[in-house]
Amino acid sequence: MADTIKQDGRPEALRIENLSIGFGGLKALDDLSFMVYEKEIFGLIGPNGAGKTTVFNCITQFYKPDSGNVFFRVENARLPKKEKKTDSGGDGADGMVNLVGRPVHSIIKLGLVRTFQNVEIIPELSLIDNVLIGAHVDFKSNMFDQAFRLPRARREEKIYHEKALEAMRFLGIDDKKDELAGGQPYGVLKKIEMTRTLMSNPRLIILDEPAAGLNDVETEELAEIIRRIREQYQCTILLVEHDMRLVMNICDRICAISFGKFLAMGSPEEIQKNTLVQEAYLGEKEDE
Amino acid sequence: MNPTLKNIQAGAILKNAHVQFIIFGVILCFLPAIAASGAMKSSTLSTLAFVLIYSIVSIGLNLLLGYSGLVSLGTAGFMGLGAYLAAYFVENLNLSFWLAILAALVVPTIIGVGVGIVSLRVRSIYLAIATLCISEILLKTFEQLEWFTNGTAGKQSHFPVIFGVQTDRAGMFIVIVVALVLIMMLTHNVVHGQLGRALHAMRSSEVAAQAMGVNILKYKLVAFALATMYAGLAGALYLFFLKSSYPSTWNLFLSLNVIAMVVVGGLRSIFGTIAGCFIIVAIPELVLKKLPVIGDINGLPYIFSGVLIVVVIMFFPQGLKGLADLIVVAFRRKGKKQTADELVKSAD
Repeated sequence: MADTIKQDGRPEALRIENLSIGFGGLKALDDLSFMVYEKEIFGLIGPNGAGKTTVFNCITQFYKPDSGNVFFRVENARLPKKEKKTDSGGDGADGMVNLVGRPVHSIIKLGLVRTFQNVEIIPELSLIDNVLIGAHVDFKSNMFDQAFRLPRARREEKIYHEKALEAMRFLGIDDKKDELAGGQPYGVLKKIEMTRTLMSNPRLIILDEPAAGLNDVETEELAEIIRRIREQYQCTILLVEHDMRLVMNICDRICAISFGKFLAMGSPEEIQKNTLVQEAYLGEKEDE
Repeated sequence: MNPTLKNIQAGAILKNAHVQFIIFGVILCFLPAIAASGAMKSSTLSTLAFVLIYSIVSIGLNLLLGYSGLVSLGTAGFMGLGAYLAAYFVENLNLSFWLAILAALVVPTIIGVGVGIVSLRVRSIYLAIATLCISEILLKTFEQLEWFTNGTAGKQSHFPVIFGVQTDRAGMFIVIVVALVLIMMLTHNVVHGQLGRALHAMRSSEVAAQAMGVNILKYKLVAFALATMYAGLAGALYLFFLKSSYPSTWNLFLSLNVIAMVVVGGLRSIFGTIAGCFIIVAIPELVLKKLPVIGDINGLPYIFSGVLIVVVIMFFPQGLKGLADLIVVAFRRKGKKQTADELVKSAD
């Protein structure tokens, strides 16, 4: 493991070690290990039921893995107070922190944010309010400040309002900021969800099937957006995707899994040529 | 140019929710004077006071039911607790009105948070069950704990002295209006800030909310604590206005009626909730009871709220708020057409 870490001299953003989880008798993930470099666009592929979304849920702690670790690079400033400065034992050095066992809602504070396969948007709120939820953990004003609209709360609300507008402009949905999210086209909903992830100053964004439900034009736009997000926000992107054209188009490296097991890892070209991957997809992805 | 600019500014000010709340409050403050002049029956003023008191409770429940998607069946119990605490503080301990209100705010909230910590960890239906239980326990306590509540004979109180001024019915009415307007403002602030967005996120999808860093248990507790606090306050105001409290008032039917007020008024709407309270509380009292034959039916208000809930859920799931929105949209369309016509004309 240690020899792969410093490959290319690039620091790692995320390291999955021997991850296993079972549901009943079914092993959804079986001793899976891989790692993602900083500022990389990394694709996770596999046939239906391979356990891709399960990997995501294990990383973000929605599922607690039966065994294995998820190490994530965290700046010292983002760590909870009691963990700051002193490298807490077992979490590894070099700013790598084990996510396993942390509460789900604490993950975003560390700089890891995700989207969902079925977009999770609040239809009753305006676009900008939906985006502002992404900044939830950054708010410092307490309930009392907010209830009485004390200057501190108002100032803060204004700052994040501006930030949300900027992010919305970045994805080209700022003209609809006050419209309700309910009833917006699917492409816009996906953009709201992506904009929301940008509010938390993410180090790693996890996208669960970002192209699902998008047409060809929208998918191309998405590819462009993902690239621009990486450039602008200097973050790492990990995505699960079925649209092979998108994956091959934008990913720097790809990890293929099948039935919860590691299959192959490499550049898009290497993955396309890999016989194991071809076998796993046989009959499914002939058209690609 | 100038007059239109002025119009626009005036329009913007009127659109400010806080200004609307204050105007609403000021208008309500004229009601006691109208009643004193004889233009309105004094019993009508009482009914309206109860509408306003229940508005406070319902706005609290709306935070829970509308924003957070949680159900409480314990509203009546917490309201009753607020009422008895207020009475005990003022009558037995000879403490001031303000301390009584403080007690009515704090004690039910603490009990509410305790219940919430136990029941909110699991699925939300258990909150409904737990609150129903606690409400029934409180009801039995009100009946049995005679040193505190004077039992079924009922606890009597007086109009309070506020800032050295002895209030009367009209004065208490104004106090209730002020309390309601404050509650409306606070609630508006809360739901339009970070906290409100967190509640929205939680209702919409707990999973997504957690991914955005919302601590589900914390925000469920906050919503529940606020709802309980509002109920306690309303209970205290109820006592000071009616000058008495009987255990039988604080039963399950009251809790269900408060849910009806929220549902009929429209989830997530402050003015809608008040309209809902007016319909559920005032219509049976002021209109239905005066009708021939129908007016003599026993338990008429409950039948009325039951039928109304069914009708609203079937035909207007958005409640009165949704109905009002539809009307506004219809008018706007008409207005837009007109301004468009005018623009065309002026261009000519």
